[in-house]
Amino acid sequence: MWKSVIYKEWLKTRWFLIIYAAIGVLAVGRIFLKVQHDFTFNEATNFWYVILFQGYQYFGILKFLPALGGLIIAVSQFFPETVNKRIKLTFHLPIVENKVMIIMMLFGACCLLLTFGVVSLFFYGLSIIYFPHEIIHGALVTMTPWFLAGLAIYFLAALIILEPVWKFRFLYALVAVAFIPSVFFDDTITGGYSPANPVLFVLVIIMSTALLFSGYRFRKGEM
Amino acid sequence: MNAIECNNLTHYYGKKLVYENLNFHVEEGSILGLLGKNGSGKTTTINILNGFLQPRSGECLIYGENTQHLTPENKARIGFLIEGHIQYSFMNIHQIEKFYSGFYRKWDKEPYWELMSKLKVTPTQKISTMSCGQRSQVALGLILAQDPDLLILDDFSMGLDPGYRRLFIDYLREYAKSKNKTIFTTSHIIQDMERLIDDVLIMDYNRVLAQKKVDDFMQNFKQFYFELVDGSIDFSKEDFIANVEKVKNKVEIYTYESDVYVKSFLAKNGIGHKNFKKVEMGLEDAFIGLTGKY
Repeated sequence: MWKSVIYKEWLKTRWFLIIYAAIGVLAVGRIFLKVQHDFTFNEATNFWYVILFQGYQYFGILKFLPALGGLIIAVSQFFPETVNKRIKLTFHLPIVENKVMIIMMLFGACCLLLTFGVVSLFFYGLSIIYFPHEIIHGALVTMTPWFLAGLAIYFLAALIILEPVWKFRFLYALVAVAFIPSVFFDDTITGGYSPANPVLFVLVIIMSTALLFSGYRFRKGEM
Repeated sequence: MNAIECNNLTHYYGKKLVYENLNFHVEEGSILGLLGKNGSGKTTTINILNGFLQPRSGECLIYGENTQHLTPENKARIGFLIEGHIQYSFMNIHQIEKFYSGFYRKWDKEPYWELMSKLKVTPTQKISTMSCGQRSQVALGLILAQDPDLLILDDFSMGLDPGYRRLFIDYLREYAKSKNKTIFTTSHIIQDMERLIDDVLIMDYNRVLAQKKVDDFMQNFKQFYFELVDGSIDFSKEDFIANVEKVKNKVEIYTYESDVYVKSFLAKNGIGHKNFKKVEMGLEDAFIGLTGKY
């Protein structure tokens, strides 16, 4: 049964996922075209200096890419379920309702993690050509809350989209708009989030259960 | 044994009462049509039956299980058609068959493909690009392939042209009768119901007006027409009259009583009239007669 659920989710999200992954790879490619350009015209040592001592984030264009991914995957996955209340079909399947929601959510989260993994690996693979370990490590630590924000936005967007009452949708959206930037995008110093990353990770895990709440409210007939 | 049993069902939307202490049941192997005007609680009942709405009080049981907590095994026995033949419209007919087949042990793809062969659709055509009639056949085919014991159909005739409605009904009735399936259905088009259902449950705002075998209902519920000499006479408070429609001196009364009873009532009360006749009714006429035009 879970295979069928995954098949449905794949049919909904596949093109969005492929295009998003392509955007991610292109963004990394763009970063290293710029790095190559700066290496050629400014010399590597100067470039490293700017990164290490002036806090220049050469990977800055990746900042909101995971957030965009979270939003795209959540919308592509859950919006079709809300059109004509199609989620009724999903809840009528002979499978425990929370189980089907969890499979759907895990599918989306895994897709995001997969694309984040591809982007990170591509980033890492190109980074080691140009930079020492310390710079790469600092970059990855800095990017971690951005990726976690992508997951958080995915879970919150899913909660908002599946919420049956518009009033609550607005309320959740307001909370999300206030919460996400201040928690995940507050510190611009490279590696500044290093001590907070484990806490953010736990926070995202907790947020992953939010979707079940919207599903429950729908099943109880909230309108 | 009852496939569906609803006991003392009460529901409100906010402060608006939908119904109070509603009781009905659907016997296994029967086809029951739920008729009611817009807003009388048909879709509310369907939503409660499918566990998408928690009633304020009371309970509905399907095969003995409360519909708020149906087990997957029980859900596999229930085929559900959503109003408007809603399906996963981002899939094509092959993808959707593949998707659903993974959930049902008794999945039989033959009736599905038999129906699909009648549709002029390409194998890769998405359901979203199909006509309403074609979508109805996809939805019906999927339910038949599921081979459920109970079919719950919410307004199956919505958006269908007469040909597709007839195809839908004929297929459904043949299927239900040959395999002893139970059907609980609503429809706005009551002529369709007449061809399909065995039992009728007629709801008005807040109450049940009738739950009977269709044949019994049609035999016992009657319409009489006459013209009054004095057009000012009011019949609306008479107990034996279920409903009365009056335009000037022309009167239509709907009752479970016989023509002899009605005539004797008119004679006993000295009500002058002419052109008294019994009017033959279809189910739709009887429904309007019972519930009123407004």
